[in-house]
Amino acid sequence: MAAFEYRQAEEIRDVFARHAVRYLFIGKSGAILLGFPDTTQDAHLFVERTPDNGHAMVAALRELGFDLSSQHAEEIRRGKDFIQLKNGPFDLDLVFAPDGIERFEDAWRRRIDVEGFPVCHLDDIIASKVAANRVKDRESLPRLQSFREYWLRERS
Amino acid sequence: MPRVDTPVSREASAAWLDEFEAAARRPLKTRVRYAFIKTYRPVLDDESFRAFDTMADYRRWCEAELPDWLGYGRV
Repeated sequence: MAAFEYRQAEEIRDVFARHAVRYLFIGKSGAILLGFPDTTQDAHLFVERTPDNGHAMVAALRELGFDLSSQHAEEIRRGKDFIQLKNGPFDLDLVFAPDGIERFEDAWRRRIDVEGFPVCHLDDIIASKVAANRVKDRESLPRLQSFREYWLRERS
Repeated sequence: MPRVDTPVSREASAAWLDEFEAAARRPLKTRVRYAFIKTYRPVLDDESFRAFDTMADYRRWCEAELPDWLGYGRV
């Protein structure tokens, strides 16, 4: 599997828009879209957990080329909290209940649009990493918090 | 907003600021090209599909199954 490419991010954006999927880029991939200079392996999406959105998500993933069995599709439709997909043209993590964010609707209201990509606000990305409290998050948080100060200054 | 307060040297802060400003001058497409990398991660990359009922289940699985050096364990 090759690294995630910009054209694949565009495909997510365009195909998900056609299927009216409600989602947000989150995690380091979201921070990168906001301008954070760092590296990551996978794209992480925070997905709204509703029956309609689950059905739309499965249809969109299949159109993108993900090989979903009926059982996989059902688990996505049900909105299991965390789903790792490595059975498509790129790796994708679907997060239906990220640590540190209470409701999708709150994050959706705070979202940032980056050239058509819906991205969690940096405060939500940081909140989820603080709540997850993994070793890798602890290592990256000081620089990410420093970027937040820069990013807010530039936006004001 | 919750924070993790870790002392950061003035030199590190200045270097980061340079990096943030340099990144801001690059178009999004270029930023994405340089940001996404691919290296093999043992165990994590060995299955084509995984689903966890709860985030707690996922965190427990990471701690039990993944090598510590991947950094997925909780502090």
